[in-house]
Amino acid sequence: MTWMAKLALQAPVPVFVAQGDDAPAETTRLCLNSTLTIVETPRAAAILLVAGTIPASLVQHLHRLHDQLPHPRATVFWQAGPSDLLSEAVTVGKDDNLVSVLTDTRNSLLYGSRGTEADLLPDAPPNEWCGVGSHGQGGKGMMGGTPYGRPMAMTAADFRDGLELDAYTADFGPFLPMFPSGLVLTLTLQGDVIQKVAVVHPPFAGEGNAGAALLRLLGLPALAKRLLRGPSDDADFKRLIRLSGVRAAIPPGLGCAPNGSDVRERFERLTTDPGNPSKVHVEGVGLGDLLIGLEWHEAMLVLNSFDNESLRAICANTSSPEPEEKNGDSMDHEGHAGHMS
Amino acid sequence: MTNLAFYTLSALAIWSGWRVFRVDSMIRATFALMVSFICVGGIALLMSADYIGIATVFMMAVEMTVMGLFMVMFMMNPAGLNPMQMVHQHRFSIGAGIAAFIGLTVAVLATNLPNNPLPAGRDTLHDLGVELLGGSMLIFETAGVTLLATMVGAVVLSSRRGRFGDSDAGAVPPGLQPGGQPAGRKVEKSGGHGGHGGDGSHDMNMNMKGAPKSDDAPHKGHGKMPEEES
Amino acid sequence: MSFALALTTLILFLAIGIWIAAILDALFYRRISGQGGVSVLSPFYAAAAHLSRQRLTTEAPDRLNWYLAIAGYLAIATIGLAVVPFGPETAVIGIKTSVVLWGACESLVVVLVFLHGWSPNSPLALIGAYRYVAIGLPIMLLSMFVLIAAALPARSLDLRDIVASQEGLWNVIRQPLGLPLFLLLGLSLTLRGPFDYADSADLAGGTSVEDSGANRAGWQVARLAMLVGFSAIAASTFLGGYLGPVLPGIVWLAIKTLILMAVVIGLSHLLARMPVARMLGLIWKFLLPIAFADLLLAGLVALA
Repeated sequence: MTWMAKLALQAPVPVFVAQGDDAPAETTRLCLNSTLTIVETPRAAAILLVAGTIPASLVQHLHRLHDQLPHPRATVFWQAGPSDLLSEAVTVGKDDNLVSVLTDTRNSLLYGSRGTEADLLPDAPPNEWCGVGSHGQGGKGMMGGTPYGRPMAMTAADFRDGLELDAYTADFGPFLPMFPSGLVLTLTLQGDVIQKVAVVHPPFAGEGNAGAALLRLLGLPALAKRLLRGPSDDADFKRLIRLSGVRAAIPPGLGCAPNGSDVRERFERLTTDPGNPSKVHVEGVGLGDLLIGLEWHEAMLVLNSFDNESLRAICANTSSPEPEEKNGDSMDHEGHAGHMS
Repeated sequence: MTNLAFYTLSALAIWSGWRVFRVDSMIRATFALMVSFICVGGIALLMSADYIGIATVFMMAVEMTVMGLFMVMFMMNPAGLNPMQMVHQHRFSIGAGIAAFIGLTVAVLATNLPNNPLPAGRDTLHDLGVELLGGSMLIFETAGVTLLATMVGAVVLSSRRGRFGDSDAGAVPPGLQPGGQPAGRKVEKSGGHGGHGGDGSHDMNMNMKGAPKSDDAPHKGHGKMPEEES
Repeated sequence: MSFALALTTLILFLAIGIWIAAILDALFYRRISGQGGVSVLSPFYAAAAHLSRQRLTTEAPDRLNWYLAIAGYLAIATIGLAVVPFGPETAVIGIKTSVVLWGACESLVVVLVFLHGWSPNSPLALIGAYRYVAIGLPIMLLSMFVLIAAALPARSLDLRDIVASQEGLWNVIRQPLGLPLFLLLGLSLTLRGPFDYADSADLAGGTSVEDSGANRAGWQVARLAMLVGFSAIAASTFLGGYLGPVLPGIVWLAIKTLILMAVVIGLSHLLARMPVARMLGLIWKFLLPIAFADLLLAGLVALA
């Protein structure tokens, strides 16, 4: 064992959490444990923690996610059965001490007593190279085309002013840390502005903590932790929220629901009274109405400002995409990792 | 020592300039050009033009970032997944290259280059300041104001709020008589536009003729041009 | 001080600065979130944990630029620190135009952060890169105004002269608008808090989303190094740098750098980040005019 590993043992355990359906309620509060760091990308994690059951339709995404962890890595299933390909993963039941299992697993990875997990999927493009240009480029002229069988971004008119910008379509989710868990969206982006949206998989029913998620998105992770900890030191927390200028940071009228509440108002309610978020009326509102035209940061704020029940209703209202628009499916494979699906 | 630095920087400048035409990614080409300019800035430093040398680095970094972004503006086609054909119009560019090379070589060989070394301890920065705001002030100020006017003009042209209404609402100039045809030049529908932005000009035709498109209305509340904010 | 001694000082200053910055960052975070204290060795543990993991790559990345971005960011931070005078007439890079050199460093940071997001060939990183350029360029304009204003009383573009000109009165009092505006630039250069449009949480880490192992550790170290470099520049430009009674100049510089580092870290944990379009409006319509007013005031004072 090297001195490097000895030092690394002292660091908190970096865990990437993949939330499944009926994930244990403590999942959102895991970050409060100082022996763990809940990281926001699998590339920074040593352990993939699967909390709850991953539905069969999303297991493929889990396998892709698994392969994006750097070696040495391990998978821990918490209150769930491991999938077929990950049969040698650690499983943790309801009554076991999760944190000590995670720490032990990390330690045995560093000691070398536990081997790292091999890739589940082949590390290769899904298709052969099929560029057409003499220079090896994918398509006509200088761009576009379908190298490796994946359509590359091609210019399309921006819906606001017809300016030709690259439209990029891909699936995002279901384990992205800034998405409500389980949500998979097919988004068409021009730059960071959302042009089209389609729901592939709605979010899971379990309750997250939308207030903490919003605070994290606004760049206040420490205050998010404080909110998760509970309203014990209320006055101090409220003062910090006020000082941070959150109210001014959220644009007025962002993500306006039919009953008139916008993100700012919902944020206020979520942080002052996290126990009982009052219902938002969402009849007839689809994700397209809410997200199209927003830039990425605003769109994430809007997505996280709803309770899961309302968001599921909104997803149900969203019209399903036409098949030919969903060319993003073939794009998120193992190597092209940004989607972290 | 100075000679060594000079030859190293020159070699690097030429090599990165050559790379601009050999790489298959726009961003690499842009920043290879930046490296080339930075090396030239370094050579200027060696020639005791310290302000101009460092200002070159500074200007080129900004300029190349902006240029790179405009070239690949919001191109969601990052890095090396889809290599690009970076050279085109081969015959013309070879001809232009040879002509420029011969022209510059002749210019260098024919010019009687001055040879007056800078006296040690001379404050070039001060001299430059006196030059900029002294004898040549009129030239520089004229150029500066012209550039500023150009920038303001460019911003106005690209603004969403046009002279005849919001650009995304199909801005149409008013008619010469009440209810008459819109004034101004008619845009002809022709196939003669360049490869870029074919659809864009088609859209413009639509907007010139038609009334504001009503299906834009739902998005209006979310229009995200920066000037709309606040 | 000889050149070799100045260079050694620089490296020590940077290394200790990075270490302290990492601890301060963790300390602020834990204080605000209501957790306990921090071990002084925790940065080393975290670095070892990163280094003990594999360095992953993506499909068809721009590998050269990926490494260049990380190494370059660290190098730029070091150059920034190198123009800071450690004592009268003593700086590792002592040139007449050191403020312009720092300006060049600022603009190269925008290039390098962009490359860091561009290179991994991944959409979230790319969005972070584009956004950072949109914010980075106007913020840089702002810092140019502020720095020129600070150079006016010294009648020099040399940071050594700027420090010397504050013998009687520090620039922070002489130009009260300067330091607050310059601190915003610091938040942007170090990708922190309200100006962190490159590596933010809404992009799951933005430009660094694909970094793992040594690359991740390298990028974090470079960010902290930039914080040290920036704080030292700000301390020299506005708080009189090495000037101070009794103690040696380098100690005064270290104290002032430490204070500014703490202020930047505190701001980054306490202020909320607004969506990028709103921030652009704020910078162009509100902060730039203020910066221009700062320059105008400094000019009038210089004429008077």
